[in-house]
Amino acid sequence: MSVEARENLQGQTWQLASDEELRLGLEKAFDYRGDVTITRRDGTAIAGYLFDRKTGKTLSESLVRIIPTGTTQRVSLPYTDIAGLVFSGRDTAAGKSWEAWVKKYNEKKQAGEVQIELLPESLEDE
Amino acid sequence: MPIPISQMWTVASYVLKQKFQGRERYPLVLMLEPLFRCNLACAGCGKIQYPAHILKTNLSVEDCMKAVDECGAPMVSIPGGEPLMHPQIDEIVNGLVARKKYIYLCTNALLLKEKLHLFRPSKYLTFSVHMDGQKEHHDLSVCKEGGYEIAAEAIKVAVKGGFRVTTNTTLFDGADPQSVRDFFDDMTALGVEGMMFSPGYSYDKAPDQQHFLGKEKTRQLFQTILSNRKSEWYFNLSPLFLEYLMGQRNYSCTPWGMPTYNMFGWQKPCYLLQDGYADTFAELMEETEWANYGEESGNPKCANCMVHSGFEASAVHDTFNSWSGFLATVRGTLFSKYPNKAALNMLNKPSKHPEKLVQLETKQEERTGVGA
Repeated sequence: MSVEARENLQGQTWQLASDEELRLGLEKAFDYRGDVTITRRDGTAIAGYLFDRKTGKTLSESLVRIIPTGTTQRVSLPYTDIAGLVFSGRDTAAGKSWEAWVKKYNEKKQAGEVQIELLPESLEDE
Repeated sequence: MPIPISQMWTVASYVLKQKFQGRERYPLVLMLEPLFRCNLACAGCGKIQYPAHILKTNLSVEDCMKAVDECGAPMVSIPGGEPLMHPQIDEIVNGLVARKKYIYLCTNALLLKEKLHLFRPSKYLTFSVHMDGQKEHHDLSVCKEGGYEIAAEAIKVAVKGGFRVTTNTTLFDGADPQSVRDFFDDMTALGVEGMMFSPGYSYDKAPDQQHFLGKEKTRQLFQTILSNRKSEWYFNLSPLFLEYLMGQRNYSCTPWGMPTYNMFGWQKPCYLLQDGYADTFAELMEETEWANYGEESGNPKCANCMVHSGFEASAVHDTFNSWSGFLATVRGTLFSKYPNKAALNMLNKPSKHPEKLVQLETKQEERTGVGA
């Protein structure tokens, strides 16, 4: 799937009205290349990168694992404890297709630029 | 220069030991990713697309050594991100050398000259420099003009300093076979010990899912590139893996052959797919549902994959699993020219894409990812 065809999830609040929606939302969160914010049933929230999910037959057998922003801890959350999901962080994969780079390269080349390159993003912005 | 005999012996004795112990699944190379941060921003790379707090995280030396000891593989590849950006990369390498592991430190070489003083030449340490082809192709591929010259200069300095140096190349749809062969000449002239390459593969999570090679195209490409080989070229790859790429033999994937460890844990099931993580190597091996992966499984993510990290281990296993595999390896080593008139004709055909810089752009097939 090219980046142009990627689903734009950034900023979305996922509806969790059913078990199916919960499972689908967390699967999308697992594929998402930015931070998410999960609200627990007790009202507390946890924001971070969702790097793993283990799915069982029931919600109580399923869990996600998150590295909260600013820590290196791996925190597990059972599906049954999840009340809210927001794709709160920037999608770091958005806009980074090969086609976008070649287009930019050709534009810069035509403008007479030299030493054309894509620079890694600053890690201090977020 | 071929791979040192001591390394070949270490790998051979390790594989035979696994075989005699009746171990069905065993790792050959640990892919140790000590960080994801990189000083390049390659458009096709899914390894670097993470939030800043993830990119800022480095595995500790202790975590790295623990993973190496847990895994037990005789070889350790250190990709990334850019490993030379890890503040303790020298300590990681020293720890691995002390454990007599054969290390392939995969680098884009932008920092290699500057950091070379941190290391001492050793038969255990090889710098595997990422070079994606001749100058224009490499620079476009890594999204940095001037990247080729920096890497080529670093290779020269490292070779002169007595270090083992190989190259690591990912080939995508649109690659010009003649240009790739010319690139082999260029790298050989720089004095590298050997060259490694792999067809590119689309990461499940990569931002760009275009242009990766389908299996038939991969076989055609490598048949053209690797037939009529020059005697001065050395490849740091199993002869049987090369024959596999050329379509002369078929293998099933060995996803556990090159397990990956990074800050998330042990990656399931392989270096390229991210289907979750295990906390221990034993958990990875025991709880991953291996039957769900590989072409035979029908998993669409595996359908077009022919990459080194999945199939080199299959080729090595073949070498030691039967006399026919062993003899084929000997034959492929001693008679490595692979004369093929049809491939030569393909090579002499004028390129459909005379402008190298637009080869990748003009193809509307799949592309992306780093083949390891």
